[in-house]
Amino acid sequence: MPRAIRGVLVECDPSIKSIIVKIDSEEHAFIVEDLDDQTLVIKENMLSVLKMRLDDALKETQQPPSDSGSD
Amino acid sequence: MPAKRKASSNVRGGTKIGRDSAASTPGPATPRSIGSSSDEYSDAEPSESEKENIKKNINTFSVENYKAKQKSHAVAGGMDSASHHFGANDFSYLSLKPDHDNRPLWIDPHKGRIILESFSPLATHAQDFLTTIAEPLSRPVFLHEYALTPHSLYAAVSVGLDPKDIINVLDRLSKIPVPENIRKFITSCTHSYGKVKLVLKDTKHYIESSDPEMLQRLLKDEVIGPLRVQGTEEITSASAPKMAGLVIPGTKNFAGVQQAQPEGTKPKEGEPVQQEDIVATLNEDDDDDEDADAVHHFEISDGAVEKVQKRCLGLGLPVLEEYDFRNDSRNANLDIDLKPSAQIRHYQEKSLSKMFGNGRAKSGIIVLPCGAGKTLVGITAACTIKKGVIILCTSSMSVIQWRQEFLKWSNINPSDIAIFTSDNKDKFARNTGIIVTSYSMVAQRGKRSYDSQKMMDFIQSREWGLMILDEVHVVPANMFRNVTSAIKTHSKLGLTATLLREDDKISDLNFLIGPKLYEANWMELAEQGHIARVQCAEVWCPMTTEFYSEYLRHSAKKKQLIWTMNPRKFQACQFLIDYHEKRGDKIIVFADNIYALKAYATKLNKAFIYGETGNAERMRILENFQHNDKINTLFLSKIGDTSLDLPEATCLIQISSHYGSRRQEAQRLGRILRAKRRNDEGFNAFFYSLVSKDTQEMYFSSKRQAFLVDQGYAFKVITHLQGIEELPNLAFSTPSERRELLQNVLIANDADIDDDDKGDDMFHMMDGKSKAKAKKKANARRTAGALSELAGGQDMAYVEQNKSKNKELKRKKGEHNPFFKKLQRDQEKRRKALDE
Repeated sequence: MPRAIRGVLVECDPSIKSIIVKIDSEEHAFIVEDLDDQTLVIKENMLSVLKMRLDDALKETQQPPSDSGSD
Repeated sequence: MPAKRKASSNVRGGTKIGRDSAASTPGPATPRSIGSSSDEYSDAEPSESEKENIKKNINTFSVENYKAKQKSHAVAGGMDSASHHFGANDFSYLSLKPDHDNRPLWIDPHKGRIILESFSPLATHAQDFLTTIAEPLSRPVFLHEYALTPHSLYAAVSVGLDPKDIINVLDRLSKIPVPENIRKFITSCTHSYGKVKLVLKDTKHYIESSDPEMLQRLLKDEVIGPLRVQGTEEITSASAPKMAGLVIPGTKNFAGVQQAQPEGTKPKEGEPVQQEDIVATLNEDDDDDEDADAVHHFEISDGAVEKVQKRCLGLGLPVLEEYDFRNDSRNANLDIDLKPSAQIRHYQEKSLSKMFGNGRAKSGIIVLPCGAGKTLVGITAACTIKKGVIILCTSSMSVIQWRQEFLKWSNINPSDIAIFTSDNKDKFARNTGIIVTSYSMVAQRGKRSYDSQKMMDFIQSREWGLMILDEVHVVPANMFRNVTSAIKTHSKLGLTATLLREDDKISDLNFLIGPKLYEANWMELAEQGHIARVQCAEVWCPMTTEFYSEYLRHSAKKKQLIWTMNPRKFQACQFLIDYHEKRGDKIIVFADNIYALKAYATKLNKAFIYGETGNAERMRILENFQHNDKINTLFLSKIGDTSLDLPEATCLIQISSHYGSRRQEAQRLGRILRAKRRNDEGFNAFFYSLVSKDTQEMYFSSKRQAFLVDQGYAFKVITHLQGIEELPNLAFSTPSERRELLQNVLIANDADIDDDDKGDDMFHMMDGKSKAKAKKKANARRTAGALSELAGGQDMAYVEQNKSKNKELKRKKGEHNPFFKKLQRDQEKRRKALDE
């Protein structure tokens, strides 16, 4: 008997996709289907959690702004 | 840093708009009457009505004013909704002069920053003046930023400016009255700086000052007092030397003296000759004053010099070193002059006039972009002083270049100029001359060979008139201390293109050599055709999914390799090389990482040079690059960053770099600034920096660009290269190829990645120091296998894939050897004879 999961199609840059895949690899709670380099299907109920995790991850990949205010 | 700087100037731009409009918005909305306050500032300005006209015209044509108009009412009232954005930088309390539109300067009373509107008609004058008294921070197209620092003011005093004059001229050029604290800052700095001079006369050191009280104060000091040589009178006086009479060879004046030759360094076209720059007139004024001045001095012993200098620094009275070379009878004169054909350019003249400001040689640093003729400046300085000269360069190759340049530009006797390197230890034939050597030779510690020890003793036992320090930014401070303490020189001249280091050691140079005497404006030189115009671009290459997932997982070191080996970057590089080769450009590709360098070069089948490439091979490759129209692309590791002179190169691609090093970026750009074709109509050199998106490289890249952006270069961002997909033989176009590449990158062992070039530049190999870095020999390896494998019994045949272009060049060369050609010809003849 077929089972259906409500999903959201996510389109993003390849690099963002890698980050999502990395987040997913820990507990496999987000990705329903990995379509190609730029598209994924994500579980609908996990979307907000994923957004949060993604924001955190992006913060990490970005460099902290240069040292101090004074020059 | 870069972002900050931009942001703050934006903010200031904003306040400027506000203030601008507050005073200049015409109509009844402005209650200020121009007449009432103008008597305060009316000094030789255009008449009231004229002023109004000019102002109106400017107002109608300036976009800023339109924009600002809506805000102006509120600003005039003091606080408005935008005020809080400016925070501490809200300067709306400063009053504008009524004729501020005609004046080009803004002064930031907090930080001592000066903003110059470079589109103002007075900008050229103001710029001359500002480069003398302040340090240029940033010089983009329309607004230039300068900083008043103690050092810059020190430099201004050392060329003979008076604090009164500085403030007067500032006041004349500024839109706002010079703030009180800036006035104080200028007077206090100039008061203490440069008042005391250390003079070498007849090999004796004297402390000299035009202010006898200052000397008395020093003599009473508990440290300096006892160091005075006993038995000399308290303080002796003499008249100060004058600039009159000294002519720097190659300049206008010199051309006048030697009437036979045509005037080479004419002022810019379209600029009337009488319009002397402000600085020059100021200098003249000052020289007149000096006629009446008398200087006073007392003698100190040779050994005490360092102590006195340190103590004076502690007292806030840094000692200025000057060399009165014309009155130096102890050291023999060197017979050297510039050749009549040598004409120095106006900026070179200006920089030298700073050095010889009052007829004596001052120590200091001259900053000129790569390829703008630093060597000639050094040579001209040597020709002016005409005493023994010692020149320190970074490598033995540039040692040879310096000697050649000397022979090319001056009439020096070839036997008077000697080279001191690990394989060449000559002395000059007569009693004085020039020695060219490298930093590592002089600063070397520990045991030397007998010859070089003898040579070192000779150098140390003499007194030198001038020490020229090439590429002075590379010298670490303590090595430098060794050098300067070991060799007795009267004056030091540092030459560099990029007076910056990431470790902020650069300020040490201020005391070790001297203040920055002159810094050229890159954009100006490019406009005048002295250096090539360059289009800079940053190419953003997206990471592929596979690479980015690996990027996220790995350590910092591996990350660097992954973003360098990004296949999209590879493709972009291939595309750009292809595109520019078709245009007829000669291309240099820079890669810091040796693994990547080799991978790129072998894959694309191009020649490459890195630290371990042998000398003969380097020469062969370079020659081919210069003269062979089949070899248009050259891959270089960071050994090519400095001192490499390849005027053929017109395009530069950077695939990996040393983190956020601004100096490296600027030095690399310097490789194409001297492009031979720079004066062709519409010629542009190209500088591409390939950056992998979403990686740390983006951050480093923006950091690296800061210096060039400050020099006025603008980086275009290219997100997609048009037509890259259509390129035939595009590397790594299939996913499987990309995966293979990724595998290779991942198994590349750490030793390979770490394989950083130790050599500082192209030709470092030959130096004594780096010889110690012996090549690691490959160890014998044991592998299990059948004997038939070796014999090719298992379907194996020898095929060379990804052949190195380097080897190809070699083989070609062998074939062209005339001996073998003759042999071939003979053989053919014999064969023909047999056939018949």
